[in-house]
Amino acid sequence: MDDLLADFVAETREMLEASGEEIVAWEADPSDKARLDTIFRFVHTVKGNCGFFDFPRLERLSHAAEDALADCRAGRRKPDRALVSAVLAIMDRIGQMNDAIEAGEDYPAGGDDALIEALQPNADSASLEEAPSTESDNAEGGTARTIRTAPVQRSIRLPVDLLDEVMKGVSDMVLARNDLARRLREAGEQPTIDGPFERLSAILADVRNATTRMRMQRLEHLFGALPRLVRDLAHELGKEVAVEFEGGDVELDREMVEMVRDPLTHIIRNAIDHGIEPPEKRREADKRETGLLKFAARQSGNRISLAISDDGRGIDIDRLEAKALAAGVYTRAELKRMDERQKRLLIFEPGLSTADSVSSVSGRGVGMDVVRANIEKVGGSIDVFSQPGEGTTFYLQLPLTLSIMPALTVESEGRLYALPRSYIEEIVFAQSRDVELAHAGERQLLTFRNRRVPCIALAHVLAGNETEPVDWPETTLVLIRLATDEIFALAVDRVHDHEDVVVKPIPPAIMETGIYAGTTLLDDGRPMMLLDVPNIARDCGMLEDLRARSESVVEEESAAPEKPSLPVMLFTGLDQRRRAVRLDLMQRIDTVEREAIDIEGARAQVVIEDRIFALAGHDDGPLPEGRCRLLRLSDGESEIALIVAEVLDAAQIDQDMRADGRDPRYAGVALLEGRPVPVIDAHRLFVEHGNPVSAEPAPARKVNAL
Amino acid sequence: MCLIAERRVAFPAVKVRSVIEIERITPIPRTAPHIAGITALRSQALTVIDCRVALGFESRGDPVGSRAAVVDHEGHSYALVVDQAFDVVDALGDPERVPGGFGESWAEAAIGMVETASGPTLLIALETLIAGHQAQAA
Repeated sequence: MDDLLADFVAETREMLEASGEEIVAWEADPSDKARLDTIFRFVHTVKGNCGFFDFPRLERLSHAAEDALADCRAGRRKPDRALVSAVLAIMDRIGQMNDAIEAGEDYPAGGDDALIEALQPNADSASLEEAPSTESDNAEGGTARTIRTAPVQRSIRLPVDLLDEVMKGVSDMVLARNDLARRLREAGEQPTIDGPFERLSAILADVRNATTRMRMQRLEHLFGALPRLVRDLAHELGKEVAVEFEGGDVELDREMVEMVRDPLTHIIRNAIDHGIEPPEKRREADKRETGLLKFAARQSGNRISLAISDDGRGIDIDRLEAKALAAGVYTRAELKRMDERQKRLLIFEPGLSTADSVSSVSGRGVGMDVVRANIEKVGGSIDVFSQPGEGTTFYLQLPLTLSIMPALTVESEGRLYALPRSYIEEIVFAQSRDVELAHAGERQLLTFRNRRVPCIALAHVLAGNETEPVDWPETTLVLIRLATDEIFALAVDRVHDHEDVVVKPIPPAIMETGIYAGTTLLDDGRPMMLLDVPNIARDCGMLEDLRARSESVVEEESAAPEKPSLPVMLFTGLDQRRRAVRLDLMQRIDTVEREAIDIEGARAQVVIEDRIFALAGHDDGPLPEGRCRLLRLSDGESEIALIVAEVLDAAQIDQDMRADGRDPRYAGVALLEGRPVPVIDAHRLFVEHGNPVSAEPAPARKVNAL
Repeated sequence: MCLIAERRVAFPAVKVRSVIEIERITPIPRTAPHIAGITALRSQALTVIDCRVALGFESRGDPVGSRAAVVDHEGHSYALVVDQAFDVVDALGDPERVPGGFGESWAEAAIGMVETASGPTLLIALETLIAGHQAQAA
């Protein structure tokens, strides 16, 4: 059922229930003015709502009752028992019809006239006789009531503040639980406590999941207001625009819906003002006079993509270029080197607007740059695609929720920081063979996969200067891709783990620094700062630097022969043979003591950080003494640990490796530096090891391979 | 009622949620000097303010082990590190101005002087502490 309609039904029922008492009181004393007012308000509201939907019968009934009651209120008529029962009969009827509407049934026709007739002041006993057709109503109502028993999802309405409070409470409970878990771990094994605690954890995980769902709102709520907005704007600008929606049932965190409302409004303004042409121009261009604005939402994993497309004239790239030149944002040479996409993205540059004149609709000092900044602030990204004369489409990528964010924890100077995972492209070790470090003046450069990427050190960012020398080869480099597609590397001392963090806002005094976006608590209760990646990039001038850099990248890339390649992780198995596994399956590298591994016949398991994983690769040779290296692999559902003798390096292999059907363990054999390297068929491993994760249930945690 | 930089000062008790001892603190690079870092209180992050620095005095160093008053201000929670914390006392009257002022450091932070059973005490405005000493910001 339509959400609005559901609201209507719920509201009507609420009012009916609330006025039940009033009716009884009114019946006892028909001259009671206050009761009369309450009941009048009820029928009045129902009448108003009915006009909004198309319920002529409800409207007629409530209208008649309203008239009669209005007469009483104005003193033109004295309420008597006859009138009271007539109004009661109508209210009953409204209730029954309301039930029928909820159940999606048609209410049996007829009987309304008699009810309305009974309201007349001169209604004599004859029509009164007729009026208690409430009895026949009851018969009819009986059918309606039975329909009611059909499973109708009941809903209640709650203040949003209350929901937020519950959500906050649950988040705090999770943190408190983590704290308790740590203390329990420190205290050693206590079977009497551990069991109930596990149970508590499981329940809490469920509650947290349900609460998250509670806060979800269908995009319909956002879409609902748009037709009106579009109509008004189109009207103001003398254009005709139709709106089309798709995927209104996609759900998004309520807070997120609020956050995208403004950017979305701005995109719509832009589309109608600059995109869609006036009717006569559209006729000339052989298009339908009415422009079309289309909204399509889709959920993919833990992200929502929202496309807003118009069928207008498209982005005028020449004009954008001219504007960029005039504004002095780019030089002619820079523009010349840009590809189409980069030019299109100019629309998000501050100070560039394609409109020649500032109209009342767009150009209120808020540009597309603000739109992009706002989308990025919530961890989303925006892209634009445009075909001259055909239209423009904006693609928005949004995380499902604001409060829980997948993050990577990194270490710098002995302190931990969190990076939002959405920005992270890849992690490389500076010592790795694929990486080449070079200096260009004072700027540290990294060459990786034929790209020259500028580096900044987190230590420098945090110190606010670059005085301390950084031992670049010792660092781990986190490649960060900004929403503008610009890449830079952030050098950190160590990369720790993926974690879903609950982000809390930080006070203005800390916000001022411009390098933190929030704070979160680690499992052990220590606070950790969440880094504001786009801001750091801006502060370090990465956006400028990258612009010049990206040109050289493009050239280099086009020079390299196009070959589909697959990133893999190289390792030597226990039999000392070199093998590879697809990098996107890699979760992390673990080192465990020999004792953590338990092999008994066909069952092989390993305990990593209090979780049991299925072990693979132990058949290849004798287990090493002492410490064992493990590759933790995940296909998104389950995780397994692959034991190896040595972890070598990440590398690129050709996608079309030679398949070797004889050994089912391998997906194929790739050629790397002149030597064959078998690539493990990881999916077979996952199938063989079934459902190996006996981890604590953490449904909110959806681990994406990096 | 507490002691900051060897002076008796008071915060309005209604605003103080509790008094804690700072156990562990995570410094935050590049923040204003009076922000000592963040600490966790029952799974809640508190911004730790070194009141001595906020008022323009020399810090006593690492605030770990110090007492701090936990206050909520504009939706955020702060821990105000003080030299010593005393009991809640009743103010015997409204805050008053003192002829000649309270001295440079105190002037902007003080709401006024209140009489208490244990002598005159400066009543401090939390906003000023949280915002930090003006001279520091400049």
